[in-house]
Amino acid sequence: MTEYIAAIFLILGSLFCLIAALGVIRLPDTLTRMHAATKAGSLGAGLVALSHAVFFQDSGIFLRAVFIIALLLLTAPVAAHLIARASYRSGVPLSGRTKIDELKKK
Amino acid sequence: MIAAQGAFLHGAAQAAITILLAGMVLVLWRMVKGPTAADRVVAMDLLSVLVVAFLVTLSIHTGQATYLDVAIAFACIAFLGTIALARFIERASRPADENSASDNPQGQDRSQGGPYD
Amino acid sequence: MPLLMLNFFIAAVFTLLLGSTRISAFIVGFMLGYFILWVSSPLYPDTRYFKKLPKTLNLTAYFLTELLISNFRVAWDVITPGHISQPGIIGVPLKARTSLEIFLVSNLVSLTPGTLSVDLSEDDKILYVHVMFLEDVEQTRSQIIQGLERRILEVTR
Repeated sequence: MTEYIAAIFLILGSLFCLIAALGVIRLPDTLTRMHAATKAGSLGAGLVALSHAVFFQDSGIFLRAVFIIALLLLTAPVAAHLIARASYRSGVPLSGRTKIDELKKK
Repeated sequence: MIAAQGAFLHGAAQAAITILLAGMVLVLWRMVKGPTAADRVVAMDLLSVLVVAFLVTLSIHTGQATYLDVAIAFACIAFLGTIALARFIERASRPADENSASDNPQGQDRSQGGPYD
Repeated sequence: MPLLMLNFFIAAVFTLLLGSTRISAFIVGFMLGYFILWVSSPLYPDTRYFKKLPKTLNLTAYFLTELLISNFRVAWDVITPGHISQPGIIGVPLKARTSLEIFLVSNLVSLTPGTLSVDLSEDDKILYVHVMFLEDVEQTRSQIIQGLERRILEVTR
């Protein structure tokens, strides 16, 4: 039973990773690409690690998998924030669909 | 170290490895093509996350728990690399230092981007 | 948070007493320890541990559901041909004051529904957020303040 749950998590996680990669290819500008890269990427890798933890319930492996998930969820937004600020300040053009830019008014 | 595992999960791990490799190829394409340096750093950040997922999948596939340690170490180092590149872009784009906000960061993408340039 | 440490300690002792290395034993031990501490709560008059833990769980559950929803939405935009996204950058006035609160708010904003924190104003009072599906500016702003920041402040204060 746990094998099937783990397999579902594994496939779902790798599909989310693929969606993140597709998003980086397809979306129009740097900031929207970053949406796909941070969220779908960390969710996908987190699901893969969760699948590992679900199948091998040994506590040493479980702790390592949980540590990987915590590390991903902690580092992904920090890195995304830094890249977003750097790209905005270096004047990367926003997509033509952008509705409003309140940061520019300052 | 790890108990014998079922054939179903083994097959799923193989499928997941294929999917992750396809994702890595797509990300590498964005890294080569990316119009600005920031795009390349985003691609590299995602590539490191994909490598972590790949290592964990490999650990399921082979039954070697050691790959998890490799994944942890890689995640830490990749985070530091991303931070350093982001700070570099931000500093390179300051008006005082006008030459090439987009040329130098490419030189920094050496390990993954190199063979494809 | 000495009670939290005590709770973890009880869980660890329970796991060792069972002679098990499975994680389910640890979880059962944690719940047992929480129950024991709750029964003996008159002994610790001025603790807020029993109020904070349900609120932390509430925040976690909210965060996980939002994470899933936002991912399916981004995934839908990526898979289908054509773009439905309407990106925009809005400023959100923060009530969070300490650096821990600001850290939590900006990190969770980056991980939840189509929002990404871009910059913080000089006086740490306005967080600039890039939104991917911006239909209504005021509604999105109040959603971040009411939905996310309020829950975080309930935990930290």
